Amino acid sequence: MTRKLTQWISLLTWLLTLPLMASAFEPTKTVEGVVHTAPGGGSDILARAIAEMLQKEKLITQRLQVVNKSGGGSAVAMSYLAEKKGDNHVIGFFTGVWVTNPLTTKEATVTIKDLTPIVRLVLEPAVVAVKADSPYKSMKDFVEAAKKNPGQLRQSGGSVTGRDNLVRLVIEKATGAKWVFVSFPGGGERIANLLGGHVQMMVMEPQEAGEHIKAGNLRVIAALTEKRLPFFPDVPTLKEQGIDVPVIPQARGVLAPPGVGNDVVQYWDGVFGRFAKTSAWKKYQNDNQFEDGYLTGNGLNKFFDDLTVQMRDVLKEAGVKVMR
Amino acid sequence: MFLGTIVGVLPGLGPPATIALLLPLTFKMDPTTAMIMMAGIYYGAKYGGSTTSILLNVPGESSSVVTCLDGYQLARQGRAGAALGIAAIASFVAGTFGVLGLMFLAPPVAKFALRFGPPEYFGLMVLGLAMVAFLTGKSVVKGILTTLVGLWLAGVGTDVFTAQSRFTFGQMELLDGIDFIVVSIGLFAIGEVLVNLESKVGGEIFKVPKGLLNLLPSLQDLKDSRFAFVNGSVVGFFIGVLPGAGSTIASFLSYGLEKAVSRRADRFGTGVIEGVAAPEGANNSETGGSLVPLLTLGIPGSSTTAILLGALLLWGFRPGPLLIQENPNLFWGLVASMYVGNLMLLILNLPLVPLFAQILRVPYFVLYPIIFGISIVGVYSVSQSLFDVWMLVIFGLLGYAMRKLDFPAAPLVLGMVLGERLELALRQSLMMSQGELSILVASPLSAGMLLLAGILLLIPMLNRVRSWRVKAIEQEL
Repeated sequence: MTRKLTQWISLLTWLLTLPLMASAFEPTKTVEGVVHTAPGGGSDILARAIAEMLQKEKLITQRLQVVNKSGGGSAVAMSYLAEKKGDNHVIGFFTGVWVTNPLTTKEATVTIKDLTPIVRLVLEPAVVAVKADSPYKSMKDFVEAAKKNPGQLRQSGGSVTGRDNLVRLVIEKATGAKWVFVSFPGGGERIANLLGGHVQMMVMEPQEAGEHIKAGNLRVIAALTEKRLPFFPDVPTLKEQGIDVPVIPQARGVLAPPGVGNDVVQYWDGVFGRFAKTSAWKKYQNDNQFEDGYLTGNGLNKFFDDLTVQMRDVLKEAGVKVMR
Repeated sequence: MFLGTIVGVLPGLGPPATIALLLPLTFKMDPTTAMIMMAGIYYGAKYGGSTTSILLNVPGESSSVVTCLDGYQLARQGRAGAALGIAAIASFVAGTFGVLGLMFLAPPVAKFALRFGPPEYFGLMVLGLAMVAFLTGKSVVKGILTTLVGLWLAGVGTDVFTAQSRFTFGQMELLDGIDFIVVSIGLFAIGEVLVNLESKVGGEIFKVPKGLLNLLPSLQDLKDSRFAFVNGSVVGFFIGVLPGAGSTIASFLSYGLEKAVSRRADRFGTGVIEGVAAPEGANNSETGGSLVPLLTLGIPGSSTTAILLGALLLWGFRPGPLLIQENPNLFWGLVASMYVGNLMLLILNLPLVPLFAQILRVPYFVLYPIIFGISIVGVYSVSQSLFDVWMLVIFGLLGYAMRKLDFPAAPLVLGMVLGERLELALRQSLMMSQGELSILVASPLSAGMLLLAGILLLIPMLNRVRSWRVKAIEQEL
């Protein structure tokens, strides 16, 4: 009887330790961190900074090597991750483009739902900026002017599927105003055209705008966030100005290839959970004026689903051909 | 610095990639030291690109593609040393000008550059095309045809205005367009090797003169290049300041300008020394220029300075219009390091010129596989994609066919470089004006450039009419 009991107990303890043993995944070699931009792009800089901080804080024991798989929006990086199915030593750094790009690009067959979500780390806020000597003191002024002269005002920005254009589309839809969106592939040209007076308005990151405001070149007329930004306490949100449109988020975070084990997901979950609390990361977020976007598990899954639906609607509304 | 030159010599890996890869090394350094190191690498990489262009017809990066046109011809004539030497000297002169420009002219030039909106860029690109019109080759029709192919190739990829893919044939690799450097290496290097293989000339195809003095540029060369030094300096600096242009366009435009004003324009492409000096100078002067908008406005003027911008952020600076005021040490450290870097470039590289020129003594059965090897490695390293290597094969064969049929390759490459910008600027302008063509001539700046382009296009025609007349008169006599 006692013998049988000990047998049972040992079996039970073995069963209990199973999940513990399974969750003890540790990388055994260099981990690849895939980004969709070339060296120097936004995603690349963030990934390299995170890799540096993870190593400095000794949160990972192996090296995290940033691998640039640029091309086709995010299509090349995403299909690379899909090919690495079940590989425990690869992670990817996603942005909002990973959601919109497969929607509009026929060749981009891998969607974000095919990959394994791990963590959302950052929400990048945005503001609407005009030249300092511009007659528009608020987004309301701008919208009124655009209504009076449809198609006469211009906004500079990136690709038509980028957040800046989507912001225009939702505001146009809500207010009935019409203005022109001019695409510039390089970030520098967008600001140069605003400063040179060739366009009247631009959606930009607060960090970027901050320096130009200090120098007296630009003025911020709206915050594209739910709440006012700590750096621009006097700048009202769109909702406060009576323009009721959904906030279009620019998110950044980490995911893994399809088919990786639960243990691997839990490992990264733990690593980034600790990472999000480090003071180095808090300082980096503050320096770049990021909003903390920490979100994991089912919440992150729901975020991707909702974003996909929202983006599809906005793009369709805009007359962009939606592929899937 | 030295590292930069080595990286520059390797084709494919251009300055932006080099700087990005070395960035992590600098986190532990003092920011000013790190910035200085970055600037050194930037310069080194830019100069290094010319070496393989001249010696092997393999452009090291996109901004040294033009250098191939006359540089490689010079090497074939046994004047590789002169070409390499003049490239180093032009880089030094124009690079110094770029730094001086950055020091003294930065704020007003940056202000002027802001006047360039899409219509002005359109004017500039048309002017560029006009300057290099009838670039090489005897047949004007063939020249125009290949330019059009280049313009078409520039259109491959995802359209930024509609997010639709064009001419990608379902290939994901084509979504970002065809890499310019892949096309150039294929057309120039691989095409050249294939043609030479066929001709079966044994032994050395290059003459390498004996004696150290013959390996360096002569006084006559310097005299021939004196305008090219000035041209390269000014064009490079100004194009550098424009956020939407970059060093490749700078090198093409200064080559075009050099040709347009030269008394021996017809000999460009057959190995004239100023055809090397102008673009190489422009390439290095652009470095100083592209830092102007970065340091005065916080706007990156090129992909490399975009990376420097990211680096500044990581080091804890706030790049923007107030950078110089708030961090004078950084600015003056940078300026000083650029002076030193420029000088070091000259001191390091001039003695190396004879050494590099010796490479051409290597018999062709050793040299050709090396060229193939360098080309493939270079192309692969652009984006680590085997697809690009296949593109290299295709364009190599195209280059061979074009050579056989006497189609010039230069207009194709030019069409590709300027075509992308030309289309962007035209469509941006028309979006701004809602389809009104008048926007293209609305500002005096763009109207002036278009007028100049028209005049440049008329000159060769007038010359032709005149020569017919002369012939007719001679016949009458």
